[in-house]
Amino acid sequence: MSPLVTIAKREFRSYFDSPVAYVVICLSFLGLGLMVFAMGGAFWQADRATLVQMFAVVPKGLSVLVIPVVTMRLLAEERASGTLEMLITLPVKDSDVILGKYFGALGLVLTLLATTAIYPLAMFYKPWHLGALDWGPVSSAYLGLALFSAAAVAIGLLISTITDSQAVAFFLTFFTLGAIWWVGDVANGMEGAAGGVLRYISFSTRLDGFIRGLVDTRDIIYFLSVTALSLVVAFRALERRKWA
Amino acid sequence: MTDVMIQANSLSKRFGSTRALDKVNFEVQRGEVVGFLGPNGAGKSTTMRILTCFIAPTTGSATVHGHDVFDNPLEVRQKIGYLPQRAPLYTNMNVWEYLRFAAEIRGIDKSEFKKQLRKVVEVCGLAQVLGKQIGTLSHGYRQRVGLGQALIHDPPILILDEPTSDLDPNEKAEVLKYIKEIGKERTILLSTHNLSEVEEACSRAIIVSKGRIVADGNLDQIRGKTGADRYEVTIDEKNAESDKAAPKTAEVEEALAAIGGCQRVKELNSDEQHHRFELSGSTDSDLRADIFRLAVDKGWTLLELKRDAASLDAVFRDLTRGDEKLDRGADWDAGDEDEYDDDDGDAEEESKELATESEE
Repeated sequence: MSPLVTIAKREFRSYFDSPVAYVVICLSFLGLGLMVFAMGGAFWQADRATLVQMFAVVPKGLSVLVIPVVTMRLLAEERASGTLEMLITLPVKDSDVILGKYFGALGLVLTLLATTAIYPLAMFYKPWHLGALDWGPVSSAYLGLALFSAAAVAIGLLISTITDSQAVAFFLTFFTLGAIWWVGDVANGMEGAAGGVLRYISFSTRLDGFIRGLVDTRDIIYFLSVTALSLVVAFRALERRKWA
Repeated sequence: MTDVMIQANSLSKRFGSTRALDKVNFEVQRGEVVGFLGPNGAGKSTTMRILTCFIAPTTGSATVHGHDVFDNPLEVRQKIGYLPQRAPLYTNMNVWEYLRFAAEIRGIDKSEFKKQLRKVVEVCGLAQVLGKQIGTLSHGYRQRVGLGQALIHDPPILILDEPTSDLDPNEKAEVLKYIKEIGKERTILLSTHNLSEVEEACSRAIIVSKGRIVADGNLDQIRGKTGADRYEVTIDEKNAESDKAAPKTAEVEEALAAIGGCQRVKELNSDEQHHRFELSGSTDSDLRADIFRLAVDKGWTLLELKRDAASLDAVFRDLTRGDEKLDRGADWDAGDEDEYDDDDGDAEEESKELATESEE
């Protein structure tokens, strides 16, 4: 098995060896349920067979809570506790370390994302059948959320690579992802080039299409580019230890 | 294949304006167990991190097992088992999982791992803790797990960074025992600031201080570096021969200093009962007979007399003392040692008297 897979596996499992995975999954689920179905009764008031309300909440929750919590420890913890030295002096490439950590963390986020599929399945398929749900937009929304998670986790990893402190990593990731999300809302009230740029980089405008059922290759490329760029910078940041 | 397992060619490393290593040259031959000695912040860890390709030297080069540390880091790491300072392990894994993880990364398959695990468990004494979480283990056991991790692929070269720091004396002895056991068939570079460990486990020592090598050779050669023997004399302060007055401190000191071949006399902390002095003399003459005769002549009661065949301790202190004065750039003193070597500062000045001959 390649070192990359071994590192990813260990990273993924380590979430379940500590309370992180359980706390994150359980509380996210509870929070999501409350937001979508209890508070203000948004879902019930719409009175339509749609999950748009849920897909409006999920990426926000991922941005400001789940992904910062999941990614903050990735390299910051290893650096602070010194285990990074142990890991890197095994015969692994720096890129194996970055990608292994990345896929380990992304694995947990995607697992969490996949569990939210319980809502549409339980309500519109079995055991209840509340109406004829259009599965097209639902699947495209999940595709969009997976791509969004890929990009957001890469940003979180990058931030965790440049700091020793998990707390700092958390807040930086929280603010960065929050900002990239909400510039879309800001841009909606703006005219001209500035608004265009903000709309262009915002995760929320990029995700809109997917939620409405529109799969645009430009959005796919955008998320993948952000992912690749963040990983490359993270790789460089890790390599920097050699010279500093 | 070459017999030079580790070779460092004028390695230098700068951290900002501080020079952590300054043109360090050394070689380690196959099968040698070499002690890498120096006070905290001398550059031991920096050297080891360069050899394990964790960081790159500012200038200079190094080869391990014939591979360049800069060009072929993966090949170098394959050949090395490395235990970083304080054995940083994943605390939420159990011992077996951790060893399996290290083996998997090194591409060792299941059956080979089983075979190696049996050996490692036996050599490092891990049988009791194999199923335990690393976070719950004592520091001694963690060091052993770290050692086990370094041995799992049966490497020809081991690099151990302070494997015995933070351990209690029993654990220390145990770990040293394992190292000696392991060292029978491997090349080991072992860093420490504790001299007794070097004497116990190593055949050769390299002493570094402030980024430079100040001594390199087998233990006898290094001992010979100061060219002085140390004597300890204790004389009874209250009782002398019946008809003579009890000796005064100054009187004794003067008389001892007058002995031919005595280079230096220093009073050690005496109590009400005894005068204790430390003398140093050249290695070619033995002052003990003179000291004894002096005591007989004066009618003093000689309580203790021993010669230290130049303890490695003394040599070490000699070689590493006052080297702030060496030309190491103006910023050296201002520089923070922790920047490059996070030694925890518990320098143990554990003096061990070796080859001590007591008489009378």
